[in-house]
Amino acid sequence: MDKSLYVVFMYIVSHAGLILFLYPENIIASTTQGHWVPIVIEVFVHFFILTVFLKGLNYFPKQNDLITIYTSAGKIIAFLFLVPIFLYFLTSNIITVRGYSEIITIVFLSNTPLWAIMVVLLAISSYLAIKGVEAIFRTGVLIFILLFPLIIFILVISFQNVDWHYVYPLWVEDFSFFSQSSYYKSYFAIGGVFLFLGFIRASIPYKNKYVLIAATAVIPIFLLSVYIPILVFGQATASTFLYPFVLAVDSINLTWFMFDRMTMFFLLSIIIFILLFISLVLWMIVRVLSKCIAPSIKPFYLVVAVSLLIFIICLFIPSWKDVEQLFLWNTILRFYVILGVPISVVILGIKSRLEGDIK
Amino acid sequence: MKGLLFMKSLLSEINKSIGKNDDLYKWSQDFGNIQVVLVGLSSLIDFPKTIQLLEGQIQTVRHSSEVIVQQLHKIGKVKSEKKEIIEAIFEGELIIFIDELGLVISIDPVPKTLNRSIESPSSDNNIQGPLSAFNEDLSTNIGLLRKEFSSVELQVSSYTFGNSQKKGLSLLYCKDQVNNKLVENVTKQVESNLDKMLYTIQDVTKMLGLPKYSLISSFNTTESPQEVYSNLVKGRVVLFLDRLPYALILPSTLWDMFAIRNDENYSFVIMIALRLLRVIGAITALVLPGLYVALVAVNPEMLRIELALSVAKTREGVPYPAFVEVILMLVILELIIEASVRLPKSIGPTVTMVGGIVLGQAAVDARLVSNLLIIILAASTIASSTIVGFQNSFTIRIFKYNTLVLASIFGVLGVFTGLFLVCAYIASKTTLGIPYLSVKGEMKSG
Amino acid sequence: MNIKKSKIYILLVMLLLLTSGCWDNRDINHRVMPVVLGVSKESEEEYKAYLQVPILQEDGIKTQIITGVGKTINEIVDKTSANLESNVDLLHIKVIVIDRAFAEEGVKDLISGIMRSREIPSKALVAICEEDMDEFFKKMSQVELSDGTALLDYFEKNAGWNPQIALTRVWHVYRSIHSYTKDVAIPIIRLGESTLIEQAGSAVIKNGAMLDEINSDETLLYNAFQGMSAHGKIEVLDEGSVLILDNGLNFASRLENELPILTLELQLEVMILEVKGDPTIEKIEKELEKLLKPRFENMITKLKDSEADILGIGQLFRKEIPRAQLKDWRSKYYPNLKFNLTVDVTIQNSGNLKEPGE
Repeated sequence: MDKSLYVVFMYIVSHAGLILFLYPENIIASTTQGHWVPIVIEVFVHFFILTVFLKGLNYFPKQNDLITIYTSAGKIIAFLFLVPIFLYFLTSNIITVRGYSEIITIVFLSNTPLWAIMVVLLAISSYLAIKGVEAIFRTGVLIFILLFPLIIFILVISFQNVDWHYVYPLWVEDFSFFSQSSYYKSYFAIGGVFLFLGFIRASIPYKNKYVLIAATAVIPIFLLSVYIPILVFGQATASTFLYPFVLAVDSINLTWFMFDRMTMFFLLSIIIFILLFISLVLWMIVRVLSKCIAPSIKPFYLVVAVSLLIFIICLFIPSWKDVEQLFLWNTILRFYVILGVPISVVILGIKSRLEGDIK
Repeated sequence: MKGLLFMKSLLSEINKSIGKNDDLYKWSQDFGNIQVVLVGLSSLIDFPKTIQLLEGQIQTVRHSSEVIVQQLHKIGKVKSEKKEIIEAIFEGELIIFIDELGLVISIDPVPKTLNRSIESPSSDNNIQGPLSAFNEDLSTNIGLLRKEFSSVELQVSSYTFGNSQKKGLSLLYCKDQVNNKLVENVTKQVESNLDKMLYTIQDVTKMLGLPKYSLISSFNTTESPQEVYSNLVKGRVVLFLDRLPYALILPSTLWDMFAIRNDENYSFVIMIALRLLRVIGAITALVLPGLYVALVAVNPEMLRIELALSVAKTREGVPYPAFVEVILMLVILELIIEASVRLPKSIGPTVTMVGGIVLGQAAVDARLVSNLLIIILAASTIASSTIVGFQNSFTIRIFKYNTLVLASIFGVLGVFTGLFLVCAYIASKTTLGIPYLSVKGEMKSG
Repeated sequence: MNIKKSKIYILLVMLLLLTSGCWDNRDINHRVMPVVLGVSKESEEEYKAYLQVPILQEDGIKTQIITGVGKTINEIVDKTSANLESNVDLLHIKVIVIDRAFAEEGVKDLISGIMRSREIPSKALVAICEEDMDEFFKKMSQVELSDGTALLDYFEKNAGWNPQIALTRVWHVYRSIHSYTKDVAIPIIRLGESTLIEQAGSAVIKNGAMLDEINSDETLLYNAFQGMSAHGKIEVLDEGSVLILDNGLNFASRLENELPILTLELQLEVMILEVKGDPTIEKIEKELEKLLKPRFENMITKLKDSEADILGIGQLFRKEIPRAQLKDWRSKYYPNLKFNLTVDVTIQNSGNLKEPGE
């Protein structure tokens, strides 16, 4: 049965979770004007790698996932791609767990120790990861239905304090953002998610068309996440914030709403989205592990082991500065993965097609 | 001669093993020129009527003994084993011993009416809908359903479970709608477990190999034939267990919590509104107690200042933390619910009244709990009762504690993660390969 | 497997429950929730903070004032928390009152500190107090019938707010510190004679420090410029009084030889309330235009001189001036601003009576 809708929801939800968090800060730091230019470039890159990746996957039969594609291409290629993918997933999970726990303590749980928050985030997402990929995607549907209206509501009312004059100047003076490391960091928002399409092919069949629709649906979130803080505060002020979008939401004042801080609802929804993302990545990590290294160990124990590892590493990250450092290292790995994987899959695909023709 | 001896020994053996039952009834009777002994349980068989009927049938024939025997053959089954005969007696059959021929025949007698008549449902209340409900008798239930769903598509297969004691189970499905894999699965499970005893739903769960520790019922139960019909058409499998006055619908899905067929007896808009109301009810019941604890103890900044002040005022003087307060009152509430189920109808109102006084007045006046909490808990209890199916409201009631515990530790984050956990649990549940959260159509095509 | 999993899960939950005792979550009734924070400078180094706390009582809510002296606001709060039976919780601060002398000195650090910490919400309102702060808060606590939120209600848009009161939040002030082209006005309040609070115009804030003052009539124009509705404000003329029903502002901005030129059109829709004698409609319209135009012009001229762009005129030139030069808006372009103002008054109706002068 076609489960494209599951994929669409998951795609939107995990992107929303990633974009509305660090992305605005990265973009605002990378350029002082015409923010839409870097965003649009990024969206194009997103579409490019997505179509290449989907095209590459299409060369292979449905039951082949990314791991079998690489392992059947030989040991060297498997090593060359699966190890970076594994490391990339691991670091991005560490960053998300550590980063989101930090903002939770900053914004609303100042009394709660950091480790406790990380324990909850990891425990819950491991629970879901143990339940398997279908459970993750079905949870995604429920979460989407429950919380996405809330996010849309907040996106709409956050226009309350907008001053449209801050849009100007519209054009970038030079393309200096290409030389900013924070611009490359911002690719975190697109780099993490799309790979799951290669992992779920066998268990959750989807149509490529719907994936592209989902990717299109995400574009407004990219733009709004950056432009709402810009329009509320202006570039000069927004660039002083660590989480510009959160502060922009914080400035919303609704006299008729029975709760006071919209930020909480916003952040909590984002965190729930991220929980989904963490469990999906955990599942993919375990998938790689169990298919390549330890096929005899039950996924249950692997998930527990991996999340314990993540937890321990997170404990050893003392400050936000170190998270940023890790983020920077992750950037190198990220570009290797988001460019290397789609291209290699296409090449392998064409190769296998040619070999098939010869036979 | 040999037959006579065999008969004698058989009769005495039966007498030996079950003769001490006072309702075992033996009666010698002449049918024409044949002497027979009729044996059966007077508690299950209406003897005068049965004998009258038998005589009427046989005497109209007025033929030789052979013809009479042939006639008896037609209306009954020949039995020879002792065990078989005893089983037949306990199933309420009339056993005819024909001494001369050494023949034992069991026939269906006129039974005593031991069943309720068809009544209106007692736990699936509905307004403006058909009122006939299932009762304890298997064949009555199937008959009711045949009336509701008169089509060649309805397939009924019956099984008998148990060794020493027999229990009937019927499996019903709609031939052109059902997912064949599901039927195969169920039949395989049923046929490989025919020796097990089935008394309760737990036994059925075990027999079908469904998870024992699941918080969500794998079955959906209903008393209404209308409901069963709509489920059959949706491609589900329905089980009837003898002496259980409701149908077990397999598999259950999340949407069953919110939608019943009877909603469609109202106009479309009202139907949507009703279902939306139930969804809101479920979410409220899940979230409200947790949200109270979170807002009072961990994240009061989310309340508007005016609200925060009045909440603080209601809690003034309450001696323990919000979490303990909520747990305490929740337990009392659950006790009231349980007590009002348990008690006879004549004493029931007393519990409600006493409970009302304890909860509504005394506890607040004594400054043991805040009166806002009473409102919250009442709202949450009411909300959890809007859900369709009593077993589903249990589920919500249990899930509520999950959010509550997390909320007491992590505040509003706990409420949200609790909700996430519930979603994850719901999403990960499958029944015989069909997800609890199945999308429309998944059931059919598999 | 299933039992095992559920056992692990139960163990985890118990572990969490156990650890929840490790950090303290105080119940709402054990928190002191001040609504108003007053800040003044005690000495060169030290702040003095006033916390107005609604105290719950059997028959209602009374107001209590807690004061403290310290180097930072958080230090003061910490000290007072230690002395109180409950914990002071700044999460519900709604209004921040700043001493005038302190405001003139500059409140940059205070505002940045508030933005940085999660405690005080960034949408708390800011006001400047002309009065002696001790006196002001003493009076606040004495007021009968106060439910502790009086000062908040004074600013609340659905309660006591009026179009001639500037409505400025902490994040507005913070934005003005960093923004190239936008400053803010903070309302100035003092104790009233018959009412609790009296509004005394607004302070012009630039880079976190108070530079100048505008009166409440000018504040109305400031608000109108911000796009806020002036609905409800009554203007008194020689010929009578009118009620403003609706207001609109049209701009056209252009840059000529590096000189900013602004054409402004203020549109007002009014309703006649009272008339003296028998003036014609046209006369009233003219009179109103004559009243408002110089007022507006004077204000802009005054602001230009102080180089504080509270109207955000620089915003209108963001299109024309490149970003690199935008930084110098206040010093280079703004003082040279040329503007052209027209006021256009329409009398929408004349109430229940026919128009006068007919």
